[in-house]
Amino acid sequence: MTAKKKVTGAVMVVGGGIAGMQASLDLADSGFYVYLVEKNPAIGGVMSQLDKTFPTNDCAM
Amino acid sequence: MNETTFQPRIAAFLCNWCSYGAADLAGVSRLQYPALIQTIRIPCTGRMSPKFILQAFRRGVDGVWVSG
Amino acid sequence: MDKCIACGACSDKCPQKVLNEYNEGLDKRKAAHVQYAQAVPLKYCLDKDNCLYFLKGKCRACEKFCPAGAINYEQSETQREIKVGSVILSAGFQPFDPSIYSTYSYANSPNVVTALEFERILAASGPWMGHLVRPSDEMEPRKIAFLQCVGSRDMNICDHPYCSSVCCMYAIKEAIIAKEHSHDDLDVSIYYMDMRTFGKDFERYYEKAKKLGIHFIRSRVHTVDLLPDDSIRIQYATEQGDRKTDEFDMLVLSHGLEVSDSTVELARRLDVELGDHQFIRSGSFTPVATSRSGIYVCGALNGPKDIPISVMEASAAACAAAGNLSEARGTLVQEKEIPKPMDVTGDIPRVGVFVCSCGINIAGVVDVKAVAEYAKGLPYVTYVQNNLFSCSQDAQDNLTEVIRAQGLNRIVVAACTPRTHEPLFQETLQNAGLNKYLFEMANIRNQDSWVHTDNPEKATNKAMDLVRMAVAKVSLLEPLQEIQLSVNPGAMVIGGGLAGMNAALSLAKQGYETHLVERESHLGGTARQLRVTAQGEAVGPYLEQLIAKVEAEPLIKLHMETTIKDVDGFVGNFKTTLSTKEKEDSVEHGVTIIATGASEYKPREYAYGQHPKVLTHLELDAALTTGQVDPKSTNSVVFIQCVGSREPERPYCSKVCCTHSVETAIHFKEENPDCQVVILYRDIRTYGERELLYKEARSKGVLFIRFSLDHKPIVEVDGDGLKVTVYDQILKRDLLISADVVGLASAVVSNRAEDLAQMFKVSMDDDGWFLEAHQKLRPVDFATDGVFMCGLAHYPKPIEESIAQAQAAVSRAVTILSRDEMWLSGTVAFIDQNKCVGCGVCWTVCPYQAIDQNEKGLAVVNEALCKGCGTCVASCRSGAPNLRGFTTRDVMAQIEAMM
Repeated sequence: MTAKKKVTGAVMVVGGGIAGMQASLDLADSGFYVYLVEKNPAIGGVMSQLDKTFPTNDCAM
Repeated sequence: MNETTFQPRIAAFLCNWCSYGAADLAGVSRLQYPALIQTIRIPCTGRMSPKFILQAFRRGVDGVWVSG
Repeated sequence: MDKCIACGACSDKCPQKVLNEYNEGLDKRKAAHVQYAQAVPLKYCLDKDNCLYFLKGKCRACEKFCPAGAINYEQSETQREIKVGSVILSAGFQPFDPSIYSTYSYANSPNVVTALEFERILAASGPWMGHLVRPSDEMEPRKIAFLQCVGSRDMNICDHPYCSSVCCMYAIKEAIIAKEHSHDDLDVSIYYMDMRTFGKDFERYYEKAKKLGIHFIRSRVHTVDLLPDDSIRIQYATEQGDRKTDEFDMLVLSHGLEVSDSTVELARRLDVELGDHQFIRSGSFTPVATSRSGIYVCGALNGPKDIPISVMEASAAACAAAGNLSEARGTLVQEKEIPKPMDVTGDIPRVGVFVCSCGINIAGVVDVKAVAEYAKGLPYVTYVQNNLFSCSQDAQDNLTEVIRAQGLNRIVVAACTPRTHEPLFQETLQNAGLNKYLFEMANIRNQDSWVHTDNPEKATNKAMDLVRMAVAKVSLLEPLQEIQLSVNPGAMVIGGGLAGMNAALSLAKQGYETHLVERESHLGGTARQLRVTAQGEAVGPYLEQLIAKVEAEPLIKLHMETTIKDVDGFVGNFKTTLSTKEKEDSVEHGVTIIATGASEYKPREYAYGQHPKVLTHLELDAALTTGQVDPKSTNSVVFIQCVGSREPERPYCSKVCCTHSVETAIHFKEENPDCQVVILYRDIRTYGERELLYKEARSKGVLFIRFSLDHKPIVEVDGDGLKVTVYDQILKRDLLISADVVGLASAVVSNRAEDLAQMFKVSMDDDGWFLEAHQKLRPVDFATDGVFMCGLAHYPKPIEESIAQAQAAVSRAVTILSRDEMWLSGTVAFIDQNKCVGCGVCWTVCPYQAIDQNEKGLAVVNEALCKGCGTCVASCRSGAPNLRGFTTRDVMAQIEAMM
């Protein structure tokens, strides 16, 4: 490839669980447009179903 | 004191990041509780000062609840 | 969706009940529903597969009762084409369904539940509101058992030979919480093969669980019988071979993680390569890259893992995804323009009160007209309005207009909660040219109309009280200035090991100049001594390439044989003094990444130092590389695990040693099948897909013998050779093994860089590992802004995790570096110098180390570090500190106005 291709400053993140949300936040905070795609009507993934989390037994919400 | 007529007034100092949010959620879940509790939102229970508690009692509340 | 106000009327009136997936089907929800109470976005939706209107063409109850006109039956699936520069796959896992195991009776007993179901049973938002009951008769269980490795480490039934990594820890957590929830002394047993508590602070949690009386039984349960009273009888064999039975009220199956069919389908469609167990394949040196360039992966889709590592990988994937796009940064997003606020200092407060009806959510209980009327009589109130929905766009436009027309300089909105809506109204204030801190909300929905539904009169009175308190406070509020800080776009990475070099290269790739500081005269750190990764990739050649790249990168300034002498400044503006033998240099940078690594524990036990062939991990790797130890001429090798780890002195697991010994054992067997290879262990912790190595080692004839902490093996020098004695728990007697080589899996220990911690104002835990801001959600951030960590300095970890963490630290750092300037919140503390006596209490209690001493010895707040918690205000005896926006006067005014 000789001519440098112009890149698009947007990223698609597939899955809105804890990992997808974190990746999206980081990218949006670094100057990129993010499409976060989630099949359910709310983000949060399996973590939103957890009652509490180790080690502080904080509420997972 | 007659227990059935005693209606305590309570001042609640709630941390914005946890207990205040929990009080909001109680609303979302439509949990019912007596209306005699008044909330003051504080940025952190670290902000809580004994002066606030004393002042609330001086103003006539029957109980002070600090949560965070 | 824009119209939905999340009042729940649609769900309330919906006649159709269906199983609630959120509670794992343990209760019912409506067809019109919200996934869970805290859902984001908080919008109700119709479940098309169950809605009566979609099934039978009639009902439309929700439409009739929705106060906002938000129901739209016409909405349908649409296809959109979007253009992106990178893709991140984070589709996660699905919990394994244990129905296929007939042994466990999951399908035919309601009291045999999965761990996720148990999680919902324990949850306050679950089907029994957090009351621990068993599903069949809602009786409180007295005795519960957890069965580990259900759908994990099992080839026969589920074809999941891997370890799911997370089940040991969640079982312990659920066991502890169940005990807390139980009214009686709940009896909990956990049946396991190896307890794999390998993460940061995990081992301590395991020890705590033992102290709480949770029974840990090393056994795989082979039979589960259902009893007539809905209880469960299990049969198992102990390690010594005795057959036992026990009865329980409930059984929790610790089910593993797997990739769903739909995700596999997605990966195939995107043409990314899957591993043997359907997790996406990635290399140890490129832990978030897939086989297809431009597509990255993170979280459990990339192998079973827990939340902190998922979060870390997510940031790593963001870093990798941004790496190729840095020239397009900022091209598709734009900063908002904010008009300069008008000066209201010294003006008499002119308070505007806006009372929201929220459809009928507030107005249905609270007499909003009476509240509005009441507000008119309050001091300084010059304008009052009642809105149907204060948050709607037209209400915002109206608010802007009214502020200007009426010359309002303080605003109260009596509506829902500031936690969700304060930013919206503050933005409107800004647009109207008013300082956004001249604002207060009265929460008359979530904390009034919704919770005092049956008592409209009291709710109305309370709304008036809340409005009065808000008006009292807002009248006193002063405009707050948000401080603007310029950001130096350079970075400093401390430590030139694998993690530090990867961080520096990733920063350079995103276009940021980086100072890489290394104490030694060479780069590479601990990795210089490592042979191969768990996936078998050779470390040496990779490291050579990495060093060459770092040395060739023009954006990386190398500082070799250099230490940090002094650090000044804060996020965006650090000034660090570097010191070498010859000179001192001052470097300015916006962020710092600490990657100072760790060391290997030098054993005092097991005849270490008494014989040239008693070697630690790293020494053995080096000896194998140089040929000093040759497997071909070795007849017998013994590995001893947990040397210096999981001991009272060092109560943590070093995480990497089991995999390392197993992989080295395989190497011996491959080179010399006749060599006798024995691993003496306490629990084998080959988590995730590393379990396959454990399996391979056993099939190659490696012997595994378990010992306990009170019966440790003994190593003695025996002529030229070595003699190892171990007590075999199964045979109940000592075994004698003669060995040519003894490999000691010695602990990874902290370098305890306390001076560095002090200079950068960051903390360490008891074991000397750097302490992250939040163990789950901010695994590479320090509580101090602008400082990040990666690699072994955080906790022992394998190469792939170190590299992912390095990329994650870069991603977090770039969220600062990519800005020209930062705005700090106006809600910060300030000190009245006339009252301060310099006693030092405030700077001792400040959790963010945001208070310094000035030249007079008095306290001054560093607003760049202050988080506005107000702890200093409460701690001071002379009342010198105060918190802007929450001054003592402001809060006192609210208390005054309360009654």
